[in-house]
Amino acid sequence: MGIIYLMLIVSLCIAAFFLGFFFWATKNGQFDDDYGPSVRVLFEDEPIIKDVKNGSSKV
Amino acid sequence: MSTEACYHCGDALPFRPIKADNHLFCCNGCSNVYQLLEANQMGAFYKYEPMAGSKPAKERPDQYAFLDLPEIRSRYISFENEQQVRVNLSLPAIHCSSCIYLLENLHKLEAKVLRVQVHFARKEAAIVFSPDFKLSELALLLNYIGYPPDFSRNEETKKKQDRTFLFQLGIAGFAFGSIMLWSTPDYFGLGQDNATFRNFTAVLSFIVSLPVLLFSARPYFISAYKALRSKSINLDVPITIGILALYTQSVLQIFSWEGAGYMDSFAGFIFFLLIGKWFQNLTYASLSFDRDFSSFFPVAIQRLKPDLSKEIVPIEQLQIDELIEVRNEEIIPCDSELLSEETFIDYSFVTGEAQPVLLKKGALVYAGGQVQGLACRLKVKATTNRSHLTQLWNETKDKTPKNQLIRYQDRLSRYFLLILLLIASVSGIAWYFVAPSSVFRVVVAILIVACPCALALSAPFTLGNAMRVLGKAGLYLKNSSVVEALTSIDTIVLDKTGTLTDPNSYQITVAPHHLTDQDFTVFVNMARQSTHPLSKALALANEAAPELELLQLEEIKGQGMRAEWNGETYLLGSAAFIGEAHLAKGSELFLKTSINCAHLRFESSWRSAAIKSILEGYGAANCYVLSGDHNQDSAALSGLGFLKNHLFFELSPQQKAVQIQQLQKAGKQVLYIGDGLNDVGALGTAAIGLALSEDMFRFTPSADGILEAKSLVRLIQMLRIGRYAKRVLQICLAFSLSYNIFGLSIAISGQLTPLIAAILMPISSITIVLLSTLLIQAKYKRTFKS
Repeated sequence: MGIIYLMLIVSLCIAAFFLGFFFWATKNGQFDDDYGPSVRVLFEDEPIIKDVKNGSSKV
Repeated sequence: MSTEACYHCGDALPFRPIKADNHLFCCNGCSNVYQLLEANQMGAFYKYEPMAGSKPAKERPDQYAFLDLPEIRSRYISFENEQQVRVNLSLPAIHCSSCIYLLENLHKLEAKVLRVQVHFARKEAAIVFSPDFKLSELALLLNYIGYPPDFSRNEETKKKQDRTFLFQLGIAGFAFGSIMLWSTPDYFGLGQDNATFRNFTAVLSFIVSLPVLLFSARPYFISAYKALRSKSINLDVPITIGILALYTQSVLQIFSWEGAGYMDSFAGFIFFLLIGKWFQNLTYASLSFDRDFSSFFPVAIQRLKPDLSKEIVPIEQLQIDELIEVRNEEIIPCDSELLSEETFIDYSFVTGEAQPVLLKKGALVYAGGQVQGLACRLKVKATTNRSHLTQLWNETKDKTPKNQLIRYQDRLSRYFLLILLLIASVSGIAWYFVAPSSVFRVVVAILIVACPCALALSAPFTLGNAMRVLGKAGLYLKNSSVVEALTSIDTIVLDKTGTLTDPNSYQITVAPHHLTDQDFTVFVNMARQSTHPLSKALALANEAAPELELLQLEEIKGQGMRAEWNGETYLLGSAAFIGEAHLAKGSELFLKTSINCAHLRFESSWRSAAIKSILEGYGAANCYVLSGDHNQDSAALSGLGFLKNHLFFELSPQQKAVQIQQLQKAGKQVLYIGDGLNDVGALGTAAIGLALSEDMFRFTPSADGILEAKSLVRLIQMLRIGRYAKRVLQICLAFSLSYNIFGLSIAISGQLTPLIAAILMPISSITIVLLSTLLIQAKYKRTFKS
């Protein structure tokens, strides 16, 4: 029976991990635009090819 | 190859379309963009969405020159270093996946643009470009491909997005799921024989539910507190009572070691309520309903220095008695005196006058007019924020506070709360005589089960669905309470210029009609060179006519034009100019060749289909027209079916508002539809004010909603959907009340268990959500698809 306590704690931790993940995604603005990303994946070629020589390619 | 619509923008093709690569285009702008895209291997643009382009606006090379002024440039640049400049621009023309494709591949068209990321919902693009590319050049490029940036909206876009709501929703969902998971054994009676396990999960539930109470449920507490403090009751009051009853009961149960109580219902309850709220608040992020006058005026203007050299300055810096130059189609930023000989000013947006006015030197020109024709010089008489127009704007805005509509469900909640308290106390007293120890338990159970969750979801989902459906049909409402107001409308009041008439088109009739095509083309070419408003209308209506090389073209100011082509002399101008002065009357343009003479009559083109449907739907007795224009169209309007004594002309903006107040005093619920600045007062006074807009993202006066001009025809159907939404709301309320009564009967008899509460609450909520969504969608399909 003792195992069930451990499993409850583990399940809570997993749920809390996903909650944290959700917070992170929200803060990142991933829920701000719900249309753009869905079409962007369908474009055949990579929209971001060029960049400044020493600039990062962070989007 | 499509034969009836432009390959680029999908507009109807004109009489003489432009042809390129086997595709037809409506104008040069569209075919230019097509050729540019083809040359850069970006033909995929047409693959993702056919005819997705936006018709490019005409440009002037120095149109965006003001952007290179350091103080203005810094308003828009969000980040800058030696390698890159970053800017966030509002591009209202963004509307589909092809737009995203084109903009995000902008670097293929212009190597100095490094990166573009489109934010579709806000219709914005974050653009990174190299520092040797000017901001004005970027704006010109965007304008050229059909995405003119809107610089007036900068302040609004800078507003940071509030994401608190998503966090609240996330926490409530997390707690709901977790507590329900470990309450499962309890539901099946398995926890009863293991007290340690039951107490362990109960304490866990308590810990997890704390943030729900303190963070997620806060908006409801605040709203209920505010309502009570202003001595009124809204639906959040019984909700708060229910929440607190649920929570207190559960906490007491947990710490007397009797199990987890109703914590699962508590978290689920908040979760569902927040989902309802989220649904209700999905508004149109890219539209702006409360624009103030400053976004109507240009950002900067050309000022003339004492030595008459030009410089560009932001309009806030203009001082009285300075000289400015305003070019064709620019908006005059402040009240000023005309220094040029003469000019045409289009006041249609400010006063409702349909025809441009001819002003002579020395005349006072009001801010908000649009210059038509040659650039003119003006002497500033009042700064922008002191000008006639802005004062009028502020006046009407302050004077007419909109009477706050009491929401249907709030009115209902008063009775609800009263009956609830009555039932609770009666059954409490009854139980006192039966079993005194159960009184507290029963009263709390009643408060819990009566907590109007389904009731609270009815309105958000019904009105939210209705709002969404109306948006699909072309009516964008500011918030869902406007849907409620729609149901009570019994009188429709309309503006004339720009609302009943189509500002972009004149009905041009040629009489007598025996000009050859060839001759007509020559006249169109002459008209293209002219700045006279009527010539421009003629040129605009025949944009696709081929270009001809005219000889000895000359314009005689205020009279007409003369040109030669193929050995023939062509005259275009007033009746007197072509030597037939006796023919003159009204807005006409005369054409003359050596053989033929014809005149063009320009009439407002009425949106007759829309007018007909409104008059049929509401009856002429309930429709009014308020116009700022002269009464030249009075006969035409009564011909269209309006009652003569329901037409009002030459009204000032204040008089329009007063007219509406009078109607309201007579007990009418008024819907006002207008499009101009002179409608601001009326829009604010009427129960609902809708701003009509040809182009969704152009400036509209502040209003309760924006109606697409092409959807005016469907207004009656939309109002019908509004009324239907109210019926659906009543059905939903009846359903949720019957759930409450069912729950109450269990609670009064003292048999409520956490399991019953956990089943009843989600089932009632889901029924409501499905019912409202399905009914409204079905109504939408019936109304518009048939």
